[in-house]
Amino acid sequence: MRPTDCSYLKSHEWCKIENGTATIGITDFAVSHLSDLVFLDLPRKGASVTVGEGFGEIESVKAVSSLYSPVSGEVVDVNKDLPDNLEWLAQEPFKKAWMIKVKVTAKSPDLMTAAAYDAHCKAEG
Amino acid sequence: MNRSARTAGGLRVIRDDPGPAAWNMAVDEALLSHAEVPTLRLYGWTPHAVSLGWFQRAADFADLPPGTPIVRRLTGGGAIHHGDEITFALCVDAELLPREVDASYHLLHDAAIAALREHGIASERLTGGDLPTARPTEKWCFRTPGRDDVVTPAGKLLGSAQRRIAKPRARVLHHGSLVLQRPTLTPFVAAVADTATDPSTAARVREALIANFAQALGLPMHAGTLTATEHAAAERLRRERYEDPGFLRAR
Repeated sequence: MRPTDCSYLKSHEWCKIENGTATIGITDFAVSHLSDLVFLDLPRKGASVTVGEGFGEIESVKAVSSLYSPVSGEVVDVNKDLPDNLEWLAQEPFKKAWMIKVKVTAKSPDLMTAAAYDAHCKAEG
Repeated sequence: MNRSARTAGGLRVIRDDPGPAAWNMAVDEALLSHAEVPTLRLYGWTPHAVSLGWFQRAADFADLPPGTPIVRRLTGGGAIHHGDEITFALCVDAELLPREVDASYHLLHDAAIAALREHGIASERLTGGDLPTARPTEKWCFRTPGRDDVVTPAGKLLGSAQRRIAKPRARVLHHGSLVLQRPTLTPFVAAVADTATDPSTAARVREALIANFAQALGLPMHAGTLTATEHAAAERLRRERYEDPGFLRAR
């Protein structure tokens, strides 16, 4: 079971909302299905993100994948150390490898609980 | 359109004439975003051109010969000098390919290797976990063969890269460049011409690639063209994105 205090999107992003601020990252499932990660592009502090739209991109040796925002709002913090330490994504995807923090103005209606997301991953293979 | 409706017609195969770089990349993005059916597009490049991987810096290619057309690809990886080659773009729903990126490469590269073998060209997929991987710090896609690449003793024969999106539904664009003749800027590559000199080989390999990809995906194939929606999207992307120097220099 993945962290139960997080919510999840089918596109494999997670978010944890505390005091109106969402911490966002990608799940262990997403990381395990990409090959060796080589590059991560994240928005700058102060940028706006929108529910369901891309907030960044991650490149593995073989594929570029878009990252989708579970919330709308302003980016108030960015994990600046993560792009230089992409191994954190495999080691601690729900902690050290958080990507951005967003002051939430709206959240996706498609967010799932950990149990529902686990079932989704199992169905997806 | 639901999944069964989208795959009912099988794999649409678009055999395009060689085209300019910006148009080629615009069509592939239009197919990724708008195609309702699984599509395999095959094309070439006229004039010959250099494509950069999505995250590469245009400034790193300031030393290209003057006048060399240059374009940014939607897919990742290193730069490719597109000369005499068979280029393909496979645009399908992600569920038609293995979920793991590595496994999707295995499927498509093994199909390509089989197609080459049918026409007397021996190649293999590099295996093993400790092979060098193509890092973005290496400018050229073909310079250092890495894990799962299709190679001959002369070097890397097929360059591949993917873009994966999840909206509006999970989709994959898989780009491939199969070298027929060594391009001038990247003479270190392998080429079909190394072992097959018959001028008809290229067309026969192309058709074998199509058949083997269709078989690997488990889909019947039929010839097709761009829809009006796809064509209009490609025109817009060509004009507003791939011909825009600002887009090329954005990184």
